[in-house]
Amino acid sequence: MKVTYNWLKEFVDFDLSPTALADLLTMLGLEVEGIEQVGGGLDQVVVARVVEKNQHPNADKLSLCKVDNGTEILDVVCGAQNFKQGDTVALAQIGAVLPGDFKIKRSKIRGEESCGMLCSEKELHLADESAGIMLLSPDLTLGVPLFDALGLKDTIFEIGLTPNRADCLSVIGIAREIAAKLGTTLKHQAMAVPEGSQPASQHIGVTIQDPVGCPRYAARYISGCTIAPSPAWLVNRLQAVGVRSINNVVDITNLVMMELGHPLHAFDYRQVAGGQIVVRKAGEGERFTTLDGQERILTASDVVICDKERAVALAGIMGGLNSEIKDDSRDILLESAFFDPPTIRRTGKRLGLHTESSHRFERGADIGMVPLALDRAAALMAELAGGTVAAGRVDAYPSPKQPVSICFRPQRCNDMIGIQLTSERMAELFRNLAFTVAVNADGSLQVGIPSWRIDIEREIDLIEEICRLNGFDQVPASMPVAAVISDRPSRHQQLQRLVRDHFVAEGMNEIVTFSFIGPDGADKLGLSGDDPRRSGIRLCNPLAEEQSVMRTTLLPGLLETASRNMSFRSLDLRLFEMRRIYMPTADAELPHEPIWATGLISGARFAESWCQQQAEADFFDAKAVLENLFEKLQLDGIRWSAEQPEPYYHPGKACRILCGTTLIGTLGELHPAVQGRYELERPAYCFELDFEALVRLSGKRRAIVPPSRYPDSVRDLALLAPLELAAEQLLSCVSGLRLKELEDVNVFDLYQGQAIPSGQKSIALRLRYRSPERTLTDDEVSALHQKVVDTLAKKLGVALR
Amino acid sequence: MREQLEQMRQQAMAAITAATSEEALNEIRVKYLGRKGELTGLMKGLGALPPEERPKVGQLVNVVKDELEGAVEQAMSAAREAATAQRLATERIDVTLPGRRHRLGSKHPVTLVVEEVSEIFAGLGFAVAEGPEIEHDWYNFEALNFPPEHPARDMQDTFFVENELLLRTHTSPVQIRTMLKQKPPVRIIAPGTVYRCDSDATHSPMFHQIEGLMVDSKVSFADLKGILTVFTNQLFGQKTGVRLRPSFFPFTEPSAEVDIACVICGGSGCRVCKQTGWLEILGAGMVDPEVFRHVGYDPESISGFAFGMGIERIAMLKYGISDMRLLFENDVRFLRQF
Repeated sequence: MKVTYNWLKEFVDFDLSPTALADLLTMLGLEVEGIEQVGGGLDQVVVARVVEKNQHPNADKLSLCKVDNGTEILDVVCGAQNFKQGDTVALAQIGAVLPGDFKIKRSKIRGEESCGMLCSEKELHLADESAGIMLLSPDLTLGVPLFDALGLKDTIFEIGLTPNRADCLSVIGIAREIAAKLGTTLKHQAMAVPEGSQPASQHIGVTIQDPVGCPRYAARYISGCTIAPSPAWLVNRLQAVGVRSINNVVDITNLVMMELGHPLHAFDYRQVAGGQIVVRKAGEGERFTTLDGQERILTASDVVICDKERAVALAGIMGGLNSEIKDDSRDILLESAFFDPPTIRRTGKRLGLHTESSHRFERGADIGMVPLALDRAAALMAELAGGTVAAGRVDAYPSPKQPVSICFRPQRCNDMIGIQLTSERMAELFRNLAFTVAVNADGSLQVGIPSWRIDIEREIDLIEEICRLNGFDQVPASMPVAAVISDRPSRHQQLQRLVRDHFVAEGMNEIVTFSFIGPDGADKLGLSGDDPRRSGIRLCNPLAEEQSVMRTTLLPGLLETASRNMSFRSLDLRLFEMRRIYMPTADAELPHEPIWATGLISGARFAESWCQQQAEADFFDAKAVLENLFEKLQLDGIRWSAEQPEPYYHPGKACRILCGTTLIGTLGELHPAVQGRYELERPAYCFELDFEALVRLSGKRRAIVPPSRYPDSVRDLALLAPLELAAEQLLSCVSGLRLKELEDVNVFDLYQGQAIPSGQKSIALRLRYRSPERTLTDDEVSALHQKVVDTLAKKLGVALR
Repeated sequence: MREQLEQMRQQAMAAITAATSEEALNEIRVKYLGRKGELTGLMKGLGALPPEERPKVGQLVNVVKDELEGAVEQAMSAAREAATAQRLATERIDVTLPGRRHRLGSKHPVTLVVEEVSEIFAGLGFAVAEGPEIEHDWYNFEALNFPPEHPARDMQDTFFVENELLLRTHTSPVQIRTMLKQKPPVRIIAPGTVYRCDSDATHSPMFHQIEGLMVDSKVSFADLKGILTVFTNQLFGQKTGVRLRPSFFPFTEPSAEVDIACVICGGSGCRVCKQTGWLEILGAGMVDPEVFRHVGYDPESISGFAFGMGIERIAMLKYGISDMRLLFENDVRFLRQF
């Protein structure tokens, strides 16, 4: 919403600079989002006259002009065609800076010197479009800066209005707020309408068939108008607030809308059959062409303005092509009505039609403004279009709206805000807002609300008005006196933090990717046709196809991130993401949103260094991250199962991770095909973890074991084993013995090749024996060790090397 | 025998004095004092002496033994010190060479801000609450006093999914879910992911908010101002100016936009604050009585305030990030700076 400083001054007196005014408005809740000087920086654009216009010798479409700026004659090359010798024009002289930081310099155009530029309205930001250069009145003095000459110097405020303040969608609305804050009154007086002798009711009639959609409809009849361009002041005023001039009659309706906030519509009386207006619901499927030339298909919930035969306007939104004001229109039926906000909103939304008019009606116009806006526009039509206004208004208002009156408790207001205002001061603030105030017997105030403040319906609305008008800056900052609440983060929250901290400690960088992904994610991962992860929830109105499905796995986001980073030559990656996935549910009312964690490791294991041998990270780097995590969570019974790996992993280098019998995640080298689809330059090792399962399974702390005070004894064991024998089988066979003196067992070497029979591998274990109670003798350790060797041989058929 | 002893003593002492290394001294110790050493050998010869001579000579042997042991020990420690001194004098590394580093990990700035804000509010007695991202219209809009067909819904462009569900446009539905679950007093914050179908340099279709809600018997707008002042001072530094100005949200009344004095220019006006000296960081207000009615609270007996802030906005101000898109590109060269 735009409004200008000068325009506001016509409605209310104030002694504030534009900046101070902007601050006042912002602190009233009418946020000034931009301040623009009309003509600021355009002092070098002056009124000039074309004294000679010749064809440019080297270009068909250019002309070579001599232009008088009042002091000298300048050569100017111009590309526009819409002017002739003797025309008064806007000349941007050398040094001028046009909107868009366009500097005017001396230049040569096709070999001819040009000392300036003749400007169009568009180039001066006076209009959105212009057909050629701007042509000025010949009365203007040459050499005077254009904006001074046109009286355009002003300050435009761009105000970001909240949707509740429909009453401020006008100059008068903002002026009321200024007056309320300053404790003054508005200057504006209703304008007397010069009326002819014939009563309007002889020419026009109004019937409301849908009093819900249209509670009030008033009209006037103005005859003998001359449709013509608007005077400059009117054009400029509208331009300043962003409205394009059309003709005097249409401009008047727009001016009154911007000024009083009430949308009006002017019909060509010839096209309103019988002069009879009928307001009714549209027929289902009724076709109607709005004045933008679009045919609209209506429904029975839309409201249309009709004459005796057909629709002539889409109520409150846009007039019809069939009845618009044309150059030869003379007699006018002027509408000022009030339409039901939800009805207007529904229709506008369905048709994708948002106009200045619908914007105001859907937020709530002022039903009390209906006759005033009508009179103001009629008076202007008499003045500017030479029309004769028939006597009286036709005003259909079947059930006049009762004024709102609200009981207000001053003490409740003080308690709610934390201030101490007297009841008298509050009454004064209300009166400044043009509310009426009476004191009830119990000391509460009875506050009457004017028709334009449709947002005030309850006591709390009045409390806000007091707080707002008295000033938010007058509210002290206090600390609440409140009950003690002691509430620790839940285990779920604590574990989220612990797991994140763990990944960070493992040198991984956390990423945050969008929750919606492309529908091709499942295909790129190679998921089978019946994989539940294919049935992700689709958005009805995605911004883009690649953001159209709620993810059922974090992997696509992770792999795209890795791909993007690799494309920027960041090849050594350790990434993780821990966020929600979204699984549709058949029985629950809402989808399931469990948290998963996913990670990726790729590239060099260590940062390049003079003292570390370079090596590529592999499966076991990724596995170590998880092993450490499970250790930290003290999860027992973790198994790494190579059976049934996910399709997106290398079938020979992947596993499922189980805790007992619960699947808690997967780990593996990315399948080369998937790697290729995501354009990853290097192999990547990924994992996925079901965080919710970790929360369920963890939480049991192991008993603390006091460290033994006796010496250890370490024995190594090199075994020949078949290639397919898993290390875990060896380890669990050893731990299955439950030797309490066996403190620790670890795989410390793995070898296949020379000196090892084919189909076999050498695997070496290191066993540490120690008793918590005493020093073990050599013989005792040997006996224990022999037991291990024998058991391995017996159960797994592995032999000592 | 005595002469033999004296001779040995002299030889040994000479050898000890001549020795320079620990190894040489060890050899001397073995040669004279070891189990098969010369002194031990002499002791064995004691048996051949007349009985009356034995104690005297034996005593003499022990004196020599003590003397030699002392001398060896002393020479050893001198040799050790000399060796250490020698080592320290010659061993040198280039301490300016880079260390053998492990890679540092990092948390995403959004996580960092959530954790920091949560900590500040934990200190003020606010617990963390959570809610679903795929929500019912009722929780996201209606219960928060956005009636259907209300223009206020235009403030939040909504992504819809099938079955009349939507992606929550703010974290405010967590207020509703929390109040439906528990009776006052309530003091929660609700960090979370939210969605609006809007995308440009300053808007992301997915972003994050932290919602706050306090309901108790006597909570005022002044208390809201107090809590937010404490919060902004903790987050952005003591004495950060705070300004509340009137605004509109359907679920609060009075409603306020909360500005802090620009953290870049300190309030004098710059590009970041668009020359205003103020930065908008959150929206807040007193919980609207209509919202209390929707959750079965009596607005006559309790009151409360709510506030909500954009995490990306705070991260950008706190870390001086100029473009919101950096937060979601996840370039490791960016992430490693946190």
